[in-house]
Amino acid sequence: MRVFHLALLTLPLAAADDAEFFESKIRPLLATNCHACHTEGALGGLRLDTRVGLMKGGKSGLAVVEGKPDDSLLMHAVRRTHIRLKMPPVGALKEAEVADLAEWIRRGVPWPEAVAEAKVTQARITPEQRAFWSFRPLQNPPPPAVKNAAWVSNNIDRFILARLEAANLTPVKPAAKRTWLRRVTLDLTGLPPTPEQADQFVVDAAPNAKAKVIDRLLASPHYGERWARHWLDLARYSDGELAASVDTPWPNAWRYRDWVVDAFNRDLPYPVFVKAQIAADLLPETKDHLAGLGFQALGAGANDQVDVTTKVFLGLTAGCAQCHDHKYDPIPTKDYYSLLGIFSSTKTHQHPLVPKAEVDLYQAQKKKIDDLKEILNDYLAEQTKQLVDLLARDTARYLVAAYRNDAEVPGLDTETLARWKKYLAATDNDHAYLKPWQTLIASKPTLAQAEAEAQQYQRFLLDLFDEAKEVDDKNYVAFGGRKGQKNENTRQYTNIVSLPVLKFYQWREVAYGPYNIDGFKAPAGVLYYSGKDLERFLGGIAKAYIDKLKAEIATLEKDLPPPFAFLHTVTESDKPGDIKVALRGDPKTPGEVAPRRFLQVLCDGEPTIYTQGSGRAELAQAIVANPLAARVIVNRVWQHHFGKGLVRTPSNFGRMGERPTHPELLDYLSTKFMESGWSIKALHREILLSSTYSLTTGASPESDADNKLLSHFNLQSRLDMETLRDSVLAVSGQLDPAMKGGASPISDDNRRRSIYLTVSRTRLDPALALFDFPDPNASVDDRPTTSGPLQGLYWLNSRFVATQANKLNERLAKEAGPKPVDRVTHAYRLLYGRPPDEKELQLGVEYVASGSWAPYLRALLGAAEFSSVN
Amino acid sequence: MWNRRQFLGQLGGGFGLAGAQGVLQAAKQPHFAAKAKHVIFLFLNGGMSQVDTFDPKPALTKYDGQPMPGPKIRTDRASGTLMRSPWEFKRHGQSGLEVSEIFPEIGRRIDDFCVIRSMYTDNGNHGPSLQLMNCGHQLPGRPSMGSWVTYGLGTENQNLPGFVVLCPGFPVLGSSLWSSGYMPTTYQGVHFQNTAVEPEKIIPNLRNEDLTPAEQRQQLALLDKLNRHYAGSEPQLESAVQSMESAYRLQTEGGPLFDIRKEPEKVRARYDISDFGRGCLMALRLVESGVRMVQIYYGPFQPWDNHDDIRVHGKLAQKTDGPVAALVDDLKARGLFNETLIVIAGEFGRTPMIQNSGLEKLGCGRDHNPPAFTTLLAGGGIRGGMAYGATDDFGFKAIENRVHVHDLHATILHQLGFDHTRLTYRHAGRDFRLTDVHGEVIRPILS
Repeated sequence: MRVFHLALLTLPLAAADDAEFFESKIRPLLATNCHACHTEGALGGLRLDTRVGLMKGGKSGLAVVEGKPDDSLLMHAVRRTHIRLKMPPVGALKEAEVADLAEWIRRGVPWPEAVAEAKVTQARITPEQRAFWSFRPLQNPPPPAVKNAAWVSNNIDRFILARLEAANLTPVKPAAKRTWLRRVTLDLTGLPPTPEQADQFVVDAAPNAKAKVIDRLLASPHYGERWARHWLDLARYSDGELAASVDTPWPNAWRYRDWVVDAFNRDLPYPVFVKAQIAADLLPETKDHLAGLGFQALGAGANDQVDVTTKVFLGLTAGCAQCHDHKYDPIPTKDYYSLLGIFSSTKTHQHPLVPKAEVDLYQAQKKKIDDLKEILNDYLAEQTKQLVDLLARDTARYLVAAYRNDAEVPGLDTETLARWKKYLAATDNDHAYLKPWQTLIASKPTLAQAEAEAQQYQRFLLDLFDEAKEVDDKNYVAFGGRKGQKNENTRQYTNIVSLPVLKFYQWREVAYGPYNIDGFKAPAGVLYYSGKDLERFLGGIAKAYIDKLKAEIATLEKDLPPPFAFLHTVTESDKPGDIKVALRGDPKTPGEVAPRRFLQVLCDGEPTIYTQGSGRAELAQAIVANPLAARVIVNRVWQHHFGKGLVRTPSNFGRMGERPTHPELLDYLSTKFMESGWSIKALHREILLSSTYSLTTGASPESDADNKLLSHFNLQSRLDMETLRDSVLAVSGQLDPAMKGGASPISDDNRRRSIYLTVSRTRLDPALALFDFPDPNASVDDRPTTSGPLQGLYWLNSRFVATQANKLNERLAKEAGPKPVDRVTHAYRLLYGRPPDEKELQLGVEYVASGSWAPYLRALLGAAEFSSVN
Repeated sequence: MWNRRQFLGQLGGGFGLAGAQGVLQAAKQPHFAAKAKHVIFLFLNGGMSQVDTFDPKPALTKYDGQPMPGPKIRTDRASGTLMRSPWEFKRHGQSGLEVSEIFPEIGRRIDDFCVIRSMYTDNGNHGPSLQLMNCGHQLPGRPSMGSWVTYGLGTENQNLPGFVVLCPGFPVLGSSLWSSGYMPTTYQGVHFQNTAVEPEKIIPNLRNEDLTPAEQRQQLALLDKLNRHYAGSEPQLESAVQSMESAYRLQTEGGPLFDIRKEPEKVRARYDISDFGRGCLMALRLVESGVRMVQIYYGPFQPWDNHDDIRVHGKLAQKTDGPVAALVDDLKARGLFNETLIVIAGEFGRTPMIQNSGLEKLGCGRDHNPPAFTTLLAGGGIRGGMAYGATDDFGFKAIENRVHVHDLHATILHQLGFDHTRLTYRHAGRDFRLTDVHGEVIRPILS
């Protein structure tokens, strides 16, 4: 935009006025409503990104006639008076916008594109692109006037009602007090209200009765437990490593989860919350929030970090620009690599939570143990090898003894002899080298013949051992020494040698250790001894040496403290620097260097090059300074209160995302949010005190089938998994309110809130997945809600529900006394926040007349009312 | 299969809501007439060696123990000299296709199989390759092929999940291989442990431990009355209400379909040799009952990943060969072979060279081989008795009629009646496909 203001000064006054008109009214209108289809895609043959394109028209003919709006096809299309073309297809423009377009055509379609196109050399981000709604500065529009002012509780209602009135719709009646209370309590804390809370609220006639409830709920520690979970979905939080091939638990991951819970409970100002999760280690205001870096550290490297950071904080899908310029949004590939450079200059770091001395002590002690173990194991392995060689030199004698079926022979090891006998008798030795011996034995040879053949086999075996040693030696050199000095990449090209297969089998069956892979086992080779078996052969100094090492290790292990606690964080890499664009996403074809900096479209003019370390601190600051930061979080909060956001694609505010249903309201709330000191709790208050939030549920009017205008409240047809489980435990009186700490797996006995359950990335617990717990491998902005037979079985038959139904039964007996009527009533009040009506009472009392309380309560828990919010 | 009226009749008419639609996705029409209605995907996780099974390479015998001619080629890890297969190949059937002696029963039925010898993939690590083969993308978070299939076709049996996954334990990467990604979880694979044969051990919460069937029907009738009384004003609660009904159908009607003990001993004996085999029989029964896709992972973790000893393949094949043959025979006997697409694949192949797994370690296994592997298809409108594509002299790289994983996916979708470029799902503001922006249908293998 800046570019234009300079250019405008050089234009004649009238032209400047036209240009101003175009820039303020028309260009944003075209960008927001038309460019998704009418730029490069040129749907219907029409381009609306240059004047030339517009004047050329499309397949349906000329789009505009200069000076004559009423003769222009474009106007017929946007007025929806054309028989076929009704543009934009997703919904009509506002009246004011239609009028602006007409005025523009009347003025002769002024389009200061000479200026625009001069700028589109290398900058690539065009003014049209910058004019897209989500990239524009916050507007802070005044709340509109409405006819039915009596309905309005606060300014939110004005924005909502104005749109409803314009569409000739009226809001439905407000929900009953009990309904509102259950709704807001589940919303803010993920737990149902208690009967006492309901009673109190119902009789509270004070004008601030609702405000008192909201304040009480926001002050509850359960609030953070509820809202942190929404955030953890976005942060693809799990208690294990991402993209690990085997489940790799991270026993310290929960510290990030607890930090998020805390951040919500403390109402951490949103910019601090954001910065903590990007650069807590680098900024003074976040130095106490290192745990927030778990957001980055619990991911899977730099690409994942770019993707998730831009999606979650900015609502932009920058990840799409990894291989090519973003197809829809003005994010060139180079921008992707600018961000990737920042995260590539960052590394994960285990930040210890104990004093350095303790860490050093642990690590030193651990290293000592590891070193000693290595010495011991190397020594034992060497002894094993030498023993194999030693025993092999008596092979002929063993074979002959086996042939003679001697049990013991002086000078021969009895166990080894037994092993040879077993091996020679086995029929599944399918290799060639034993054949001559087996054939000879089958022919009942003389002792001399057997001895000769045994000698023959021994010679072969000793030669084979030499050959194997040669192979080892060659590979030893090829790999660059004992521990493989060459790095993995070079090793991939290393020429190594092997024994021929059949010789290998023979070698393995005689000289190699026991083998157990993929469920297939082979015993130790005939001459292979390890562990206790080996020590039988070792005496004197050797034995003493081994014992001494073992004793030392045992002592050290006894004194080793438990692994120290740490935070999953990130830190600056040793050499922060820019990286090159990987053409088509392939690092093997590097392109130009992408300097570390912010996304170009979000900068006024040329982006600042980042110079402080990785640039994470500068990135974090740029993100919170951008209007998208406020818009995106405000929308997420709205989403979790109304079921849908004002922008219904909460992590995509780009061109392919949905447009806000109430753009002015979104900007109004965003501005107010910032003015409140970025207080999320203040935002909740504003939203929850609106008349809009109080509406009852119901059917959508035909003209607004998706309830985008919010003439009524969206029914939540099924609570999320956590709220369901926690609610069951709450009403049965079994919920363990303990907060925070290590994760524990879901089980029938685990009574903690669901946010503290272990989340595995490779073995997502079926009981979690059953109720749509999201795949923790990817950032999730909106959970689906499904139902199905396995869910039904859970309510009907699961042990957990059965147990809780029994607990609930005990609770009713204790709290409601012996009379069925009282118990049924109490159950309704606990579960649904209301007393039963006459019919329900009658059905209940009849059913339990036979004494079957548990199945009755189970049915109440499984009923649609318990699982849903109206 | 039960319809709604029969179900209501069963409960004496006191249960259920009128005029409701299925909770699971009812069967849907594809883009064009489909050749196949079901998929059975037999996943040999870990990666089956091509040169020891269905892609014979005489040159390996000739050059056994020698380095592969030409410049040293980068493999996943250091690799050694060429290694001949420990097994002989035999020609089979009218087609005369050569099959390793470790798969004699599949060999005898090779005229039913199309052997794609020119498969290749993009990554030499298990995770990304598994992800690509199952979900069309190397990173987690996308819907699996089974999700796409059920999203496209719905399911034919409302008593059962549309996409069933059988694996004793978990393969590498676990549930993300049958995730529905950004799609609703209705399309997610439902994983059952096929280590047991009793349905109540396979399906969680299948039995009610407290109530007699009569008592449970009474309880359901009450629940239905309460739900109708309450939800009558909220039509959106219909599916939640119905999930109780469908649960009861799964308990009474669906559960027994998992029970392979209901098969005659004669049928069962051919499968009852391994978890994989029993999974095949379960798949047969499920497909027969209208389940859209069944995927069987051979075993937990990655049994076919034989770095140390390729001979383990022989033992794995013993437990695979007979059940696959039985599955082909029984699908035919039940008239399902033509409408069921069998896919046998792993995530990649194995090197023709010996792999020494580490320093100073002798070995006779094979490493990962993404540039070439073999996949088998049968039934579902696939031409049998043909080999498609070819690898180089040593089986290291696919060189003729190369088939990428995306092409395989495109072909599978095609057989199910879908143009893979038009089977899209809108997410985060754009249309996604199983095949991303790639994939060509392999037309020559279609019958």
